[in-house]
Amino acid sequence: MFDLLDFGLNLKALGIEWGTLVMFALLVGLLLTGTPLAMVTLLVALIFAIGWFGPMAVPLITSRVYSFVSSFVFISVPMFVLMAAILDRSGIARDLFDAMKLVGGQLRGGVAVQTIFVAVILAAMSGIIGGEIVLLGLVALPQMLRLGYNRRLAIGVVCAGGSLGTMVPPSIVLIIYGLTANVSVGDLFTAAFVPGFMLAGLYIAYILFRSYLDPNAAPPPPVDRTPLREHLPLLRGLVLPMLVVFVVLGSIYGGIASVTEASAIGVAGVIVSTILRREFSFSMLLDAAMHTLATVGMIMWIGIGASALVGVYNLMGGIRFISQLIAGVSDNPTVIILFMMAVLFILGMFLDWVGIALLTMPIFVPIIKDLGYDPVWFGVLFAMNMQVSFLTPPFGPAAFYLKSVTPPDISLGEIFRSLVPFICLQVIAVGLLVMFPALAMH
Amino acid sequence: QEYQFTFQSVDPAGNPNFGIQKAWTERVEEMSGGRLAIELLPVGSVVEYNETQDAVGAGILDGHITDVSYFSGKDPAFGLIANPIGAWSAPDEMFRFINYGGGYELMNKLEEPYGLKFIGATTTGLEGFVSKRALNGVDDLKGLKVRAPEGLIQEVFAAAGAVPVNLPYSEVYTALDKGVIDAADSTVFSTNHQQGLHKVAENPVYPGFHSMPLVEVSMNLEKWNALPADLQAILTVSVRDFAQDAVAILSMNDLKAFAEATADPNITVHNWSAEERAKFRTIAMDQWAKVAARSDNAQNVYEALTTYLSSQGMLK
Amino acid sequence: MPLPPDQSPLPNSAQISAPAQEHLPQAGWLGWVITRIARLFAIGIIVAMVVLVIEIFLRYVFNSPTIWAHETTTFLSAVTFIFGGLFCVARNSHIRVVLLYDIVGPRTRRVLDVLISIACLLASLFFAWAAWLMVKKAMFRPDGSFFLETSGSAWNSPSPALLKIFLLVVMVAMSVQFLILTFNYMRGPLPQKRLDDV
Ligand code: NA
Ligand code: NA
Repeated sequence: MFDLLDFGLNLKALGIEWGTLVMFALLVGLLLTGTPLAMVTLLVALIFAIGWFGPMAVPLITSRVYSFVSSFVFISVPMFVLMAAILDRSGIARDLFDAMKLVGGQLRGGVAVQTIFVAVILAAMSGIIGGEIVLLGLVALPQMLRLGYNRRLAIGVVCAGGSLGTMVPPSIVLIIYGLTANVSVGDLFTAAFVPGFMLAGLYIAYILFRSYLDPNAAPPPPVDRTPLREHLPLLRGLVLPMLVVFVVLGSIYGGIASVTEASAIGVAGVIVSTILRREFSFSMLLDAAMHTLATVGMIMWIGIGASALVGVYNLMGGIRFISQLIAGVSDNPTVIILFMMAVLFILGMFLDWVGIALLTMPIFVPIIKDLGYDPVWFGVLFAMNMQVSFLTPPFGPAAFYLKSVTPPDISLGEIFRSLVPFICLQVIAVGLLVMFPALAMH
Repeated sequence: QEYQFTFQSVDPAGNPNFGIQKAWTERVEEMSGGRLAIELLPVGSVVEYNETQDAVGAGILDGHITDVSYFSGKDPAFGLIANPIGAWSAPDEMFRFINYGGGYELMNKLEEPYGLKFIGATTTGLEGFVSKRALNGVDDLKGLKVRAPEGLIQEVFAAAGAVPVNLPYSEVYTALDKGVIDAADSTVFSTNHQQGLHKVAENPVYPGFHSMPLVEVSMNLEKWNALPADLQAILTVSVRDFAQDAVAILSMNDLKAFAEATADPNITVHNWSAEERAKFRTIAMDQWAKVAARSDNAQNVYEALTTYLSSQGMLK
Repeated sequence: MPLPPDQSPLPNSAQISAPAQEHLPQAGWLGWVITRIARLFAIGIIVAMVVLVIEIFLRYVFNSPTIWAHETTTFLSAVTFIFGGLFCVARNSHIRVVLLYDIVGPRTRRVLDVLISIACLLASLFFAWAAWLMVKKAMFRPDGSFFLETSGSAWNSPSPALLKIFLLVVMVAMSVQFLILTFNYMRGPLPQKRLDDV
């Protein structure tokens, strides 16, 4: 029966070098036909599983699907999305941004800058990305557009800001790196602080730069000089969101809940807020949950496909291939580091971070240690590279997450075009971290 | 090469265990004159850590090096033989049972139906216990929120008055740091120390009192049967050597880390008295019978274990 | 002249971005069924949230965490993730890049629709078969006796087996859904540009 299912396909004859190229080409090719993204990666995984090993290897894919969906840390994704969907159905987001506009005061681009602040706060509440991008996409993006921000700037702020979750502690990327490289997670968290804020700082500098140079980028600051007293009611919009943030962060840092659990507290907090504002109804909650189901269905299946593909690629000998690539590149440590960055960048275009970590860490970390570099610094550098991978096309998870909740007239192409300046900023941050390892203090 | 196998480890790439396992694969290649090459992949590379048994049985992976406890859900027997808490106070005691006391045949009888051949056993040695609270005996376990993985260990802690919390390993560090949990079953003292766990949980217990996992090296049965006898012998004998290697290297690492931890004014390493250890063993052994009742295989494991232990005068 | 930002007619994003709960017409009766039972899984997300909050409360306030909360929430969200994929197939809301799709003529578009559905159908059939191999191991002991694979935790629930069975059911449903889509694309009207994507 298995001979029948074999289709006479023998991809193994390609060898891993050509196999890798064919795999990437197939990914892009299928993507362009308009096949659903999740199915693109699953199809490529299937073709290579059958073509390389035969049909008996297909259960490897379903096994990875099973393991992926049953990972406890992913519970925070539907929680963040549900939070977003409820906020979206209440007036909380609108009031928050109206109040933020006031706080931003005379600063051009003030609301976008504050959105980055909100993103950093969300990053401190979560260890993964996905949920926050959806949240900012549902909450901040329409508000920035309403206030008259340039669409591309607003999109970039949401995707880049929403990706900070794995750069600002707590971060699953850093935890997995710590386990892989056997270095202290605490040291990694400490070391990531300055680079994380540096990256957020670069985003803010860019927003201000754009806002002051380009009159269409951000709305002019309000000119009316109404007395503060009349504005005070508006500031009430800040109270409930700040309370929710306080409760969530408090439960994490007060030792009440684990990071993943805290996302459920966030949902409960937002529900309580809508009750206090008399906006709550069960039909609203159910509607928000239906929205969440549709959104997580989209974004989790992209992750499922990526996870399956990585399993197949590892079995094909992906790790051996990367190690062959790096062997004998140069004796110059700087060249080796730059080559590693290039490998991470290219892999980041096609694979998700878990796969990249599995493929490259076993090879890169020992080399880094041999060269006398600090593995903690390299861990932060790895996390910074993953920031880039979230945004780069053709497989940019941040863009996909945002696309899952934006109005239809914002296309994936436009999202990726909007991300170009932010990718440049991330590359600059990677460069700074390579040049000044002391930035990763611990 | 005549034989090219892919094995998946239960450890991540930079973990000392992985290095020791890798050295074993290199030795096998050398001993076989290059006829048998094993590529060792880190945990999660092809399938998740708890799915390797299925993957090896199906021939997707050729073999694995993994903690047998992770298959407790397939048959409680795996949970009991993997970590009969209270049975062993040193690796050699377990190795004697496995290699000469009937454990080898028992493991093969358990794994054969799943399409696996048990090549041999290794262990990390007694694991270090990571705790924020000072623990000097069983009574201190009352109300202790402890993270433990699947297997017998959760029930033993519950029976000892502690409160087992289910958390994935990726959340252990932050949960300990912030105090969501008080303690965790992690791994050996030296690795815990390197990963910075003792910085957030300053009261480790060393040597541990709670767990010494059976780590199996096994491979696909059909592929094993297709191997010539000399390669089979090379694998079997080299795993026995690898087990000694693992235990020796890890305990050397542990002693070094223990010296570092003792010198650190922020860390207090606790050691339990023989009486307290015996108390914990008694509680643990009460749980064996409960697990044994859950399947015929578990009952077989229970009988083999108790028969062996009493023949050695280790069961009082 | 642009409207003052505050009164701009841009609707609340809920109205534009909230995915309509309706299935694609081509998804047929199965699409109808899938979008109707979706409500059950949506409620599952809310239940998962409530269970986690209860767990935190019991652990922090009474120092008595449950042995079932984490397993239950993990199971609920896993089921949500798996079903969510099927839900998006029935509603055709999976993200796709339609750069070329929108350039080509309606006839080529129809050919593309049919070919994509067939490819997805084949893939789902393979996954359904592989899921069945997995389910066999999770439902029966090697000697053939019935035994649901459990989690091995203190609670020891059969969630691994149930989840694997659920994955099989969804993969079978997905295969049927792609089969229905293939037929309906073949005989239906020529497809329009998508516009809603790239
Ligand atoms: Na974070
Ligand atoms: Na990318």
